[in-house]
Amino acid sequence: MAQATLAERQAKQVSQYAARKRWQRTGGLILGWVGFIGIWYLISEFVVGPYLLPSPLAVGTHMWEIIQDGQFIRHFWSSILKVFAGFGIGLLIGTPVGYFMGRSKYWKAFFHDPVMVAGSAPGITYAVMALVIFGISVDGPILAVALVSMPYIAINVAEGIEGADQKLIDMSRAFRRSERDILRHVLIPSIMPFAVAGVRLSFAYAWKVEQLTEVFGSSSGVGFKIRQEFEDFSYTGVLAWVLLFIIFMLLLERFVLVRLERRLFRWRGQEEGEKT
Amino acid sequence: MATLHVENITKVFPPLTKRGTPVRALNGVSFEMSGQVFVSVVGPSGCGKSTLLNIASGVDTPTAGTLDLTHNDGEAGIGYVFQDPRLLPWRSVMDNLLYVSDEDKESARKKAQTYLEMVGLGDFAHMYPNQLSGGMQQRVGIARAFFVDPDLLLMDEPFSHLDAITARGLREQLQEIWNETRKMVLFVTHDVREAVELSNRIIMMARGGQIHADIEIDLPYPRRPSDPAVAMLQAEILGRFEEMEAELMG
Amino acid sequence: MSSLNASQPALGEVQPGIFSTLQRALTSGWGARISAYILFLLIWQALTWTIPRVPGPVPVFVFIWTEMTGGPHGGVLRGQFWGHFLITLQRFSFGLVIAIVTGTILGILIGSLPFARALLNDTLLVFLALPAIIWAFLTVMWFGIGDKAPIYTTFLTAAPFVAVNVAQGVRAITPDLHRMSAAFGVPLTKRIRYLILPAVMGYLFAGIRFAVITGWNGVLLAEFFGSAEGVGWRTRFWYDANRYRGFVGWIIVFIIFIILLDRLVFTRIQRRVFRWRDAQGESEIAEFAAASTQ
Repeated sequence: MAQATLAERQAKQVSQYAARKRWQRTGGLILGWVGFIGIWYLISEFVVGPYLLPSPLAVGTHMWEIIQDGQFIRHFWSSILKVFAGFGIGLLIGTPVGYFMGRSKYWKAFFHDPVMVAGSAPGITYAVMALVIFGISVDGPILAVALVSMPYIAINVAEGIEGADQKLIDMSRAFRRSERDILRHVLIPSIMPFAVAGVRLSFAYAWKVEQLTEVFGSSSGVGFKIRQEFEDFSYTGVLAWVLLFIIFMLLLERFVLVRLERRLFRWRGQEEGEKT
Repeated sequence: MATLHVENITKVFPPLTKRGTPVRALNGVSFEMSGQVFVSVVGPSGCGKSTLLNIASGVDTPTAGTLDLTHNDGEAGIGYVFQDPRLLPWRSVMDNLLYVSDEDKESARKKAQTYLEMVGLGDFAHMYPNQLSGGMQQRVGIARAFFVDPDLLLMDEPFSHLDAITARGLREQLQEIWNETRKMVLFVTHDVREAVELSNRIIMMARGGQIHADIEIDLPYPRRPSDPAVAMLQAEILGRFEEMEAELMG
Repeated sequence: MSSLNASQPALGEVQPGIFSTLQRALTSGWGARISAYILFLLIWQALTWTIPRVPGPVPVFVFIWTEMTGGPHGGVLRGQFWGHFLITLQRFSFGLVIAIVTGTILGILIGSLPFARALLNDTLLVFLALPAIIWAFLTVMWFGIGDKAPIYTTFLTAAPFVAVNVAQGVRAITPDLHRMSAAFGVPLTKRIRYLILPAVMGYLFAGIRFAVITGWNGVLLAEFFGSAEGVGWRTRFWYDANRYRGFVGWIIVFIIFIILLDRLVFTRIQRRVFRWRDAQGESEIAEFAAASTQ
């Protein structure tokens, strides 16, 4: 009898502890955001004045306007399209490059330096390259994203290939599968997680570079709008677009990407409790 | 009916290091098997049994000698069960079976389901390998090998990576499925007891790639390890095995 | 898939002499690397011929040389490079120092106090994700033309990286180690010296490395959009004049500086500092992660 109540009490303590922790965390989060806006308001009202730092209300209103009159959709969609197009090209080129790097010493030596330099060059490099090659156009940002993501994808695929399962290839040969079958059913699926990891790793960076390139050389997209507002001396506008950009990125990362990854790699069985 | 004819097979591997000696994995191995037999090749590591299997499956070629797999209806098909399951982790269990078959999808699917049920995994056809335990994955591997309706079924120490209890269960299941399908099986293992439990013929190989003994096992199926007749025979063969080892040492 | 063995000569190669030597050189490791550079230059040159806007490699390098040395013209061009470079370097260093100090303090707070973490973590992540260009715009908006914008941009882009890394370092000191120290009665001074400081040092160093790369990027952008002198301004100068060889030339100088700084100085020091963590050192992916802080 005493045992039962002891266990019950312990369980209650554990859940209380967990609940308390959760309250602390949410509390901290809410406080953080409230504090952020509060400090912003204070600085705007009392320190630098609403011209230099528009009040949270002004910016919030402007953000709402942007969403309402469709600008938000138009420019964000433009930016997203470029990012994804750029990744598409990056995958298209980076995956074979990585494949060759992983399977041949010659190609590994050949591609090593370009990939390393491309991977560690500052973002502005790509913005400039895209600008100089394409001028003011849609293609510039796409190229920039492609160039940014290629080294990540290539390196990841190369590492993936080196660890590729020779055993599965042997098994396929033992069962007399054709080379094409092996490529399609063994090699490509085993490379895919690594290619996607490359995309994942470079996502934030590619997004930043895309914005930068848009600032320099585009006529649509979020970066373009930010520059436009900046040159119009509209600080409210700059802040509004910047905040929308941040929120958008956070949401994208947390909801779209994570879900996509989970679905693509269902077979990995990383969820707990799936082992029968 | 299919026949496997092994004639004087020798396999020499080039040395691992520059100054080393070449490795003679198989040294003039000859035997023949045909029909509905379960043949085990037993021996210590380094006796060449895995190499023999590689040559039989076509993955490797002999340095000398010939290996012929003939079938009355033309080219013979081979099934393979590995030590590890070797399932494509990104395909479902059913798709893994379909992967190795060239038949058209509809009929193949039904057939695959039958074999999955034979190994007790009928309900798991749509799960991914990572959702199954090691023993279950190996069962899928076995189902897969039988599913292609091979004329020769090669098995390379399929239970050596499993825990004792799971392995015991799988041996039982293998006996059942073999009794139903009666394929020609060439089974490689280092475990003499396992060989006695499963096969009707044991080829004992010694280190250096030579056949030491060729023994008929004449016990009725199904064989339980707990059966005294089986246990006695196991002890006897094990004794001969240890004799062989002692001879080579001495 | 055939795999090429770089050290084997081609099949069927019979003649000795210069042809086979050339072939072997081309397929060797070094040959492969050099081929890549040559190919890059060829592609660049091809782009120059096809797209009028693109400056050729030769004019660009000649330009860089001229900017640096004053060239045969002297006069107007002499010393352009060094003056601007120094100014940018000063602004950059200022911003970097502030970033390191602030970042370290923040990092220690976030790493050791769960409440601070809950409060600041999301903000930190947001700051990490903001492109440097946005800071450049904001600071130019707020501080106008001059030194402040570049310094603050450097600070704002670099500080989050220092904070994140220091926080990681603090949290890497697991409670177990603290408990062990308490169990052995190790005094606080000794703990700081042998437990906390070394653990955090490595992470702080990594943070500084990221901070340098991103801060350098930031200072350029701030100067580009709101300065009257410095590397960024000079880059803009040539861009506005539509003299792309100048524009590209300055960008190249900018890039080469940071790559050299990173590879020759930081990577070496980092390998030594992180010796205790893993003998292999960083993988290439980790190196990219470092660079992706822009």
